[in-house]
Amino acid sequence: MSEPSLKKLTIDYLRGSVTPFVLPFEKGKKLTIVYGENASGKSTICDAFEFLGKGKVGSLESRGLGKTNKYWHSIGRVPADVVVTLETANSTCLAKIVKSEVAVDPVAARPRVEVLRRSQILSLIEATPADRYAEVSRFIDVSGVEASEATLRGLIRDMDGSREIAIARIQENQDAIGQFWSSAGKPGTEALSWAETEATRDPNESDLELEALAKLQAAYVRLGDYPARLKAAEAAIQAAATAATAVQAKADEQLQTIAKDAGEIVGVLEAARSYLQKHPDPQACPLCESTEKVEGLSQRITQRLGSFSALQATRVQVTAAGRNTQQVEHQLSALRDSAKKHAEEFEQARTGFAWSSDIEMPLASAPVDIAALANWLAATAQLIAAWKKAETARVDKKQFTKTLKGALKTYVENVATQQELDILLPDLTRTLEIVQEERRSFSDSVLAKIAGDVGRIYEEVHPGEGLNKISLELDPSKRASLSIGASFCGQAGAQPQAYFSDSHLDTLGLCVFLALAAMEGAESTILVLDDVLASVDEPHVERLIEILYAEALKFRHCVITTHYRPWKQKLRWGWLQNGQCQFVELNRWSSHAGMTLIANLPEVERLRVLLGNVPPDPQSVSSKAGVILEAALDFLTQLYECPVPRRPNHQYTLGDLLPSINRKLRESLRVDVKTGADANGTGIYETKSLTPILDELIRIAQARNIFGCHFNMLSFEFLDSDAVGFGQQVLLLMDTLTDADAGWPRSAKSGSYWATAGETRRLHPLKQPS
Amino acid sequence: MDTPSQVLAAKIVDRLVQEKILTPDAAKKLSPLLAEGKLRAEDWRLPIELGVGKEDKA
Repeated sequence: MSEPSLKKLTIDYLRGSVTPFVLPFEKGKKLTIVYGENASGKSTICDAFEFLGKGKVGSLESRGLGKTNKYWHSIGRVPADVVVTLETANSTCLAKIVKSEVAVDPVAARPRVEVLRRSQILSLIEATPADRYAEVSRFIDVSGVEASEATLRGLIRDMDGSREIAIARIQENQDAIGQFWSSAGKPGTEALSWAETEATRDPNESDLELEALAKLQAAYVRLGDYPARLKAAEAAIQAAATAATAVQAKADEQLQTIAKDAGEIVGVLEAARSYLQKHPDPQACPLCESTEKVEGLSQRITQRLGSFSALQATRVQVTAAGRNTQQVEHQLSALRDSAKKHAEEFEQARTGFAWSSDIEMPLASAPVDIAALANWLAATAQLIAAWKKAETARVDKKQFTKTLKGALKTYVENVATQQELDILLPDLTRTLEIVQEERRSFSDSVLAKIAGDVGRIYEEVHPGEGLNKISLELDPSKRASLSIGASFCGQAGAQPQAYFSDSHLDTLGLCVFLALAAMEGAESTILVLDDVLASVDEPHVERLIEILYAEALKFRHCVITTHYRPWKQKLRWGWLQNGQCQFVELNRWSSHAGMTLIANLPEVERLRVLLGNVPPDPQSVSSKAGVILEAALDFLTQLYECPVPRRPNHQYTLGDLLPSINRKLRESLRVDVKTGADANGTGIYETKSLTPILDELIRIAQARNIFGCHFNMLSFEFLDSDAVGFGQQVLLLMDTLTDADAGWPRSAKSGSYWATAGETRRLHPLKQPS
Repeated sequence: MDTPSQVLAAKIVDRLVQEKILTPDAAKKLSPLLAEGKLRAEDWRLPIELGVGKEDKA
């Protein structure tokens, strides 16, 4: 979407605008040329655009003022008085100073502005490569992509490393599997397929056999204790029986020495004592019920029992010996049962598993009779060592399989990793190549475009000088470094600063600025060129002006300030493409009036105004018309190389010029005046002959001398209408021959006629008829 | 207005799609991260792995 056109710039109290200054913009014209002598306020207009678009006043920079904010306002004013307002077709944007900074409202309407001042014209050319890079970095700074590219490069490096590691591991795994294969006796045809088969084995297979073998050994070991334990039990029974017999004999002997019925008496006394402990104060003897001697009965019973104590002790020993005998007999019985049970368990362990053939078994079953166990154990004693050997062999085999499986698993994983990387790495590498190619191509193409544009513009200013081969190159050995080169005397890449003249360098600087400004959103950019023609030498100024016309159309608007007087005169005479530009002239600045505009009309328009006055002034009309006719005849006589009297000062009168356009030429002169265009855009023309106009001018040309040049009494005899008629004929000639917007027909590019820009006028013939 | 990095990133992913290294969808997601320099190693690897697996790759 195109940006709205500019309507009006108002500057209040910024630098030279001591009174509010308004610069109106003509509708439909994208180029505004502001002409003014020095100290007329041209730079203030540029400052106003920069203030609005960039928030600064560039003309004050590099003048040793430090921070320039305090000098922005006009003399006698304060910063808060400064206001710059840009009115466009659909918005108004205002900028003012708030707390030493430029505030813009609304921000969305803030225009994009690029300003080039005469003092900056060489800045990019003469800058260091780093500063030059900084200036163009906004077009080629791809640091984001570069960071991503570095990540990709790192990824590829890491993956290359992973692939190398995978390949090394594959070799290691292959070696390990080969060694396993060798240790297994190289079964099958080759190591890997053997390993794959081995790895499919059920690891539980040997686990179950090892578990059964452990149970068998444990059961066998349990049986091994029983013969010794049987011997010990039998010895204990023997000892208990002997002890019981001995203590019984002792008790019998003690009884015989005391009394034959001592045993019964002790029993009675013990019973009586037990009774008396419960009934300590009896009224009578509990046996005979006599009350005689009942007192002290308990003490007397205790005394009598004391005399039987040794017998009592022996009787306790007899009881204990009996109990001990019973106990050891019981233990022997339990031992027999346990031996039987464990013998049965061993048999279960032996018969409950399908043993491999290499595992030896007892020839006879384990005996359930403990007495036969010792012989059976002696006969099978060698089996424990055999079983241990079988167990160790199985554990070793299990470990072997486990290690083999691990090696095979690692091998398979590394092969898979290598295969995956073999597929992925070429794509990643190709991606990196593409990123690098595109990045280099992008930077090269942007720089080539800038350089191409610079060269193209430069060639238009200096055609045929062979200085147009401009190059901008990044230094691959340095980051953010840009060199500029040009072709000079056949030497490519010459540093222009070293070989170009000041004028050529100025042109180059301007070309670089124009090319860069056009690179970034030209259609939304207001381009401001502040007096940049000042140092361009005369032969190139006109071409540069033509280029500025052409380049300005690329931008939203272009404002050029200049004090180049010929530009003003050429515009006044309509020699340039006035239609594309608005020309304004500034008065000399004064402290009370500030900046003011001068009304400035082209000469032909001035004549039209004079003719429009009521009544028209004959002297003014004929004077102005005479000068214009001289300009037209000067143009035609040069175009057709007509002979005129040769004079040192090149001053010709109408009397010299009019006759030099001979009859043959006069009768052949005609102009195709463009009146419109058809549906295809092809121009529609109306052909007008210049012959009657020139004939009439020859007839009445004396009116110019009579009315317009001197005091002449002859004029008394002429009518005012003769002077006005002369002016009207000149105006008719100019309206037919020239176009106020497109200029004069100076281009012979068609090869058959002379044309204005855009061929709004076609002047025939191309050459004077012979 | 696109930054130079954004313009370049768009050109790069277009090439990667043309060469069938990336799918168009992956390219769309990759482009802004590529321009901003925020692509991690896995951000590069995954879409390219998926692109590699495409059946229509010549």
